[in-house]
Amino acid sequence: MNGRAPALAGATADARSGRPIIELRGINKSFGKTQVLFDIDLAVERGQHVVLFGPSGSGKSTVLRSMNMLSEPDSGSLKVDGVEFGPGLPGDVGVKRGGRLELRRRVGMVFQQFNLFPHLCALDNVALPLRKVRRMSKAKAREKAAIALRRVGLIDRAANYPAELSGGQQQRVAIARALALDPEVMLFDEPTSALDPELVGEVLKTMREVAETGMTMVVVTHELGFAKEIGDLNVFMEDGRIVESGPRGFYDSCKSDRAREFLRAVM
Amino acid sequence: MSIFDYDWGLFWEYREALLAGLWTACAVAIVGLLISLVFGLLLAVLRKAPKPFNWIAVAYVNIFRGVPALVSVIWVYFGLALVLGIRFTVFQAGVIALSLLYSAFFAEIFRSALQAVPPGHTEAGLALGMRPSQIFFSVTLPQAVKIALPNIGSMFIGMVKDTSTFTVIGLLEVVRVTQNLVATTFQPFVLYTAAAIIYVLAAFAIDFVFRMIENAYVRPPMGVVGRGLRAHQRREIVALAARIKAVTPATGTVYTAK
Repeated sequence: MNGRAPALAGATADARSGRPIIELRGINKSFGKTQVLFDIDLAVERGQHVVLFGPSGSGKSTVLRSMNMLSEPDSGSLKVDGVEFGPGLPGDVGVKRGGRLELRRRVGMVFQQFNLFPHLCALDNVALPLRKVRRMSKAKAREKAAIALRRVGLIDRAANYPAELSGGQQQRVAIARALALDPEVMLFDEPTSALDPELVGEVLKTMREVAETGMTMVVVTHELGFAKEIGDLNVFMEDGRIVESGPRGFYDSCKSDRAREFLRAVM
Repeated sequence: MSIFDYDWGLFWEYREALLAGLWTACAVAIVGLLISLVFGLLLAVLRKAPKPFNWIAVAYVNIFRGVPALVSVIWVYFGLALVLGIRFTVFQAGVIALSLLYSAFFAEIFRSALQAVPPGHTEAGLALGMRPSQIFFSVTLPQAVKIALPNIGSMFIGMVKDTSTFTVIGLLEVVRVTQNLVATTFQPFVLYTAAAIIYVLAAFAIDFVFRMIENAYVRPPMGVVGRGLRAHQRREIVALAARIKAVTPATGTVYTAK
């Protein structure tokens, strides 16, 4: 067990090796003629909880989606545990390169719209990737899926289909589905934005529990109360650039006018 | 002469010949359906392929959607024999003619059904590390089939009706049987009415069967058939859930670090 109270999760103090688990360098991305990311540099240490926040269209989700190559950068480097998965930087020669499947098997993701498979029950939603990606037998995969559902408190809903679950429950199944694959990093793309207000709490509780286990997390969120609580590194983005970032307590001490303005408007 | 003066007893007298015709029609249509489903799906996938390849699918669909069944079967049965010297039986020619046409229709049905599956599901599959082919067969296709089913049912009714044109090559389907009976009984009104009734009843039956299949695909399962089919799985999962619940703590960590 690598359990650890969230209060102890210092900014970058916990890195087991000197090397960040995820390292973005010089990431640029355009959709057609519109450039949405400009030279993004970001390092995520093992066990760190990173919060990306900022106004809509600032590129937070695109940064997150670059981390598992759902959005392929036009240029720049994405290194996970020292292995290059992005286009790479011109100076970097002799770096070990990895494929997309390998990357995604190490990095889990949770979406705003849950994206559960509606034709499968909760248990099989979790079991399907275990069978296909981990090549487990049906029985083994279901057993592991059941344990994952147990841990997000939804074992009693295992046989239910997504249409029979509330938004909060669907999102918790989606979290269980990603966790069941034993990822090293979990990405959360506005996981509570599509939920009714009374359902946000249960999802945040589950995410808090994931954080407490020491899982490396990168979270795009508008729930700044939650961000304040778990964020070891807080990154404010606007117009495709990282404007400012800082450790715990950042929300009360940020320097840029834009970040202060944004926080005043939303908090 | 009133409508009651006709010899309606011919319905019953020739029931076996007429039903044999219906069976032939259905057999051609069912084999044609299976082939068209496979080729239709391939064409739908090909249509999303990169440029030179998708043109093949577009051209095929646009050409064969426009050919009438009558022309198609004459071309397959007589044309191929003339040009290439290939001689098909009437049954084979009927199946090929139907498959050529309906592959084009099914391609369009599958294309729209595949597009109707939310792209987020594909993204979720990718993010979970699944290969595109695994996502296609385990996530996209099952959902697309469910969306396509009502249209496939309607098309199948059309296929059964289109077999009536295969009369021209001598396939003993309902219309050909009717024609033969008319030649000996001189009762076209009665016998063509019988043929019409047979087609309508067949359409009802096909509709009923496809509704059952649709119901079996609805999630969460509905109806006696749907629930019956999933009951075993449900029991298995509930039992597994109870077992896991008994051996793992109620709350606590979500994730065990390696």
